[in-house]
Amino acid sequence: MKISYNWLQSFFNKKLPVPEKLADLLTFHSFQVEEVKPCLPAGRKNDEDWILDIDVLPNRSYDCLSHQGIAREISVLLKYPFKLIDYGKKIKESKELISKVIKIEVKDKKLCPRYTSRVIVDVKIGTSPKWIQERLITCGLKPISNVVDIANYVMLETGQPMHAFDADKLRGNRIIVRRAKKGEKIISLDNEKYDLDENVLVIADEKDPVCIAGIKGGINPAIDGQTKRIVLEAANFNPLVIRQGSKKINLRTDASWRFENGLDPNLTQEAINMCAYLIQDIAKGKILKGSIDVYQDKKEIKEINLDTSNVRNLLGINISDKEIVDILKRLDFKTKAMKDKLQVIIPSNRLDISIPEDLIEEIGRIYGFEKIPSQLPDAILIPSKKREDLIYQNKIKDILINLGFNEVYNYSLLSNKESIKLSNPVSQEQKYLRSSLIPLLIKNVKDNKRYFENVRLFEIGKVFNLDKHQVVEKNKLSCIISLDEKKKESQEFYHLKGVIDSLLNKIGISDIWYDDTLKGNRKAEIRVGNDLLGWIEEIEPNIAGLEIDFEKLVQLATEERVYTAPSKYPAVVRDVSVLVDYGTKVVEVLNLINKVGGFLVRDIDLFDIYEGKNIPDNKKNLAFHIIFQSNERTLIDKEVNQLQDLIITALEREGGWEVRK
Amino acid sequence: MSNQIKEKAIEEITQADDLKKLEEIYRTYIGRKGKITEILRSLKDLSEKERKEKGKIANQIKQEISEMIKEKEHKLLAKKDKNEKDWIDVTAPGIKVPQGHLHPITLVQRQIEDIFQSMGFSILDGPEVETSYYNFDALNVPKDHPARDMHDTFWLKDLDLLLRTHTSPMQARYMEKNNPPLRIIIPGRCFRHEATDSTHDFQFYQVEGLMVGKNVSVANLKAIIEEFFKEFFSSSDIKIRLRPSYFPFVEPGFEVDIKRKGGDWIEVMGAGMVHPNVFKEVGYVDEWQGFAFGVGIDRLAMIKYQVDDIRLLYSSDLRFLKQF
Repeated sequence: MKISYNWLQSFFNKKLPVPEKLADLLTFHSFQVEEVKPCLPAGRKNDEDWILDIDVLPNRSYDCLSHQGIAREISVLLKYPFKLIDYGKKIKESKELISKVIKIEVKDKKLCPRYTSRVIVDVKIGTSPKWIQERLITCGLKPISNVVDIANYVMLETGQPMHAFDADKLRGNRIIVRRAKKGEKIISLDNEKYDLDENVLVIADEKDPVCIAGIKGGINPAIDGQTKRIVLEAANFNPLVIRQGSKKINLRTDASWRFENGLDPNLTQEAINMCAYLIQDIAKGKILKGSIDVYQDKKEIKEINLDTSNVRNLLGINISDKEIVDILKRLDFKTKAMKDKLQVIIPSNRLDISIPEDLIEEIGRIYGFEKIPSQLPDAILIPSKKREDLIYQNKIKDILINLGFNEVYNYSLLSNKESIKLSNPVSQEQKYLRSSLIPLLIKNVKDNKRYFENVRLFEIGKVFNLDKHQVVEKNKLSCIISLDEKKKESQEFYHLKGVIDSLLNKIGISDIWYDDTLKGNRKAEIRVGNDLLGWIEEIEPNIAGLEIDFEKLVQLATEERVYTAPSKYPAVVRDVSVLVDYGTKVVEVLNLINKVGGFLVRDIDLFDIYEGKNIPDNKKNLAFHIIFQSNERTLIDKEVNQLQDLIITALEREGGWEVRK
Repeated sequence: MSNQIKEKAIEEITQADDLKKLEEIYRTYIGRKGKITEILRSLKDLSEKERKEKGKIANQIKQEISEMIKEKEHKLLAKKDKNEKDWIDVTAPGIKVPQGHLHPITLVQRQIEDIFQSMGFSILDGPEVETSYYNFDALNVPKDHPARDMHDTFWLKDLDLLLRTHTSPMQARYMEKNNPPLRIIIPGRCFRHEATDSTHDFQFYQVEGLMVGKNVSVANLKAIIEEFFKEFFSSSDIKIRLRPSYFPFVEPGFEVDIKRKGGDWIEVMGAGMVHPNVFKEVGYVDEWQGFAFGVGIDRLAMIKYQVDDIRLLYSSDLRFLKQF
């Protein structure tokens, strides 16, 4: 909110600190001043003003969206006396009664707790004086006419939004505060048409809505050059209904912003008197006798019992009861010492104060948060825990970077169609929640291939799927790889398979196998025992990727494992070379060797796959080392030879392959 | 006499810079007509006692010199080889071993986790898709309250769910199931429905911190945060200050600024004392008090690594990521 420095000064006889100093004071005790900017009113050189752009957050929007509110804050901080003019005393009322001109009816007092009105006649509409115009311009408002400018001026000074109607244009001399009816329409002061319904509160005359309550005036009873009689409104509306209405018609104004946050109902009286006085003074109007003030449920005075030891305990400072009372008094809170507590009476403009902690905040900020010492807590030693999956995330990331993979963080939102859609995307590019990490990784590979020959990337992140209208959120690990020169058919796929083996091995998972029953010739499921861990695929020529269920991975990694001691007896290695059809899977050969070889076959290592020269078309040659070993004794040549012969026979008879000797 | 010869020989060997000179030295001292050889030869004319004595010394010297020559010869040979055939260009670049890099957010997050873990904070994780109850209501942000406008929110279509706007929902989720005293941090990805620029992205990382006990105070909050930043920037010269601010789930609420040596004050986190309504909502009945804070991991990464555009972090551009 833009606040004028000179305007603030007008509340004080004492000179305020320079604008920057004042801004710091507010920033450290009240609210952030985002900018201090000099501001020269047009055509004047010696009358410099400054704009303080103050970020008043919702907790202080009740009382501080105004110059008066900020000035009151400054008076507390600087201990400067703060003078408020009692405009009620400066008003000269004529003999004619207001009730002769206007009747006011509030249909629902919950939606409009207070409606205060005055009527001013014989008004001369013209331009407003320069000092008002300048202050409005400084605060970002456009001067219109004296009456409208005065109403805005009063809002900027007190925080109470005002409205003025041309009394002669209100049909039936009535003002009715009610919900709009479906189908009703209104044309606003700035000639925009709005369709209304029950969600919008309006001010209506006998026939139609004439103003969108608390948001925007209507064009019909607007003040114009011919206006003579004015009905002034200073109302207090329910914050919720204004917020809903403002959302409904999609219009936020200076007024709706203030009402949405809630205002002190007691402000209406003060504001309407100020407004009436200024109109009397500037537009030469005559104020009719009395005001109409529809105010049924008066706000109760709030009292809070404050345990002063809690102030010390929560803030961690040694502040005496006397200091606490002093600060509360400066804030205009009345206090009374009770047996072991302090009774604090809250002024009606401090709607934000409702619990003792609110008071502690007030005491803390006036005392000065900068004066609170640093004090390490006396806490019981509790061993800190870290979730398993976070420990494994770190471990797995380290393994992958050592295997040459770079970690990336992609966006969770995608343009590709997925099952979960945002109802309010920022852009078409980011409309869906990702169900896989792969699509963006593929894009990353392609982008990076322009600069790098070999690209290896990984990401660990959440993906989202819909299962029976429930969102299922899962942590996934994905790797993607693309290598430069073509050394070997599908080198990326096999490279990535090697990565899986290496990764799983390092986190203690064995028993990995690849299920190729999936659709697609270049894709396999990664399985550990009976568990499905993820999949691996040659996605495009030159790009292979994998996606692993991270939770499953952690679960498998943390299972207790049985370690076996290495055998004390020597191993015997025999080689076997098998000529098979091109379509024969390595795993078929391996399974057969294992089956026939039995427990003495410790390991089988495929060391070569060969096609081409000396090998018939549609055939390939697989060469294995078979490692024989026992845990109990040294194997003798004879039994190894027998086993080897059995294997060869089986490969030939059962497998139907040619064993090359 | 023999010692003088020895010293001279040593000097000459040290100075010899090629094999030829070394050979000459050999000849001069221990060759067939060498000085030491001559001494040894002349021993036969001496008495047995003298012979023994001098012979011992001369033999020792002979051995020493020949060893030194051998050693020198090795050195000179090695040098010669290098100069001729066995030479490699050690200045040529090494063969590239594929080297991966961790993402800067991971690096910063790990550091944050380590520091807080050392101060007894447990580390948790929470869902990115949240209910409005945990994201707002449980945190004292009622429906239709202007405070909701402080968090521009992504909503999921046809589901009554949202993308969490902060990691604070885990405060409530954790406290519902665990009793105080407690110390936790929750790092994670968050989302805000806002236009993207160099300092804002619709996606970012935040660490939420929470400490609850009987006497946990603002002074404690200050000390913990101070310790954290000192460790994080590995510098004892870090100043921190609290400014009043407003977050509905804390009271009082602060904005935390830090100032590093020679730097300006920068805003780094929001913090405050847990609002009693939050405790009430999770069912704490005793008089607990505590602090909470939220700090942007991206923001810390940007400060630490002097990255001036947050979007670089999510660009997956290896030209950027390989620098970490």
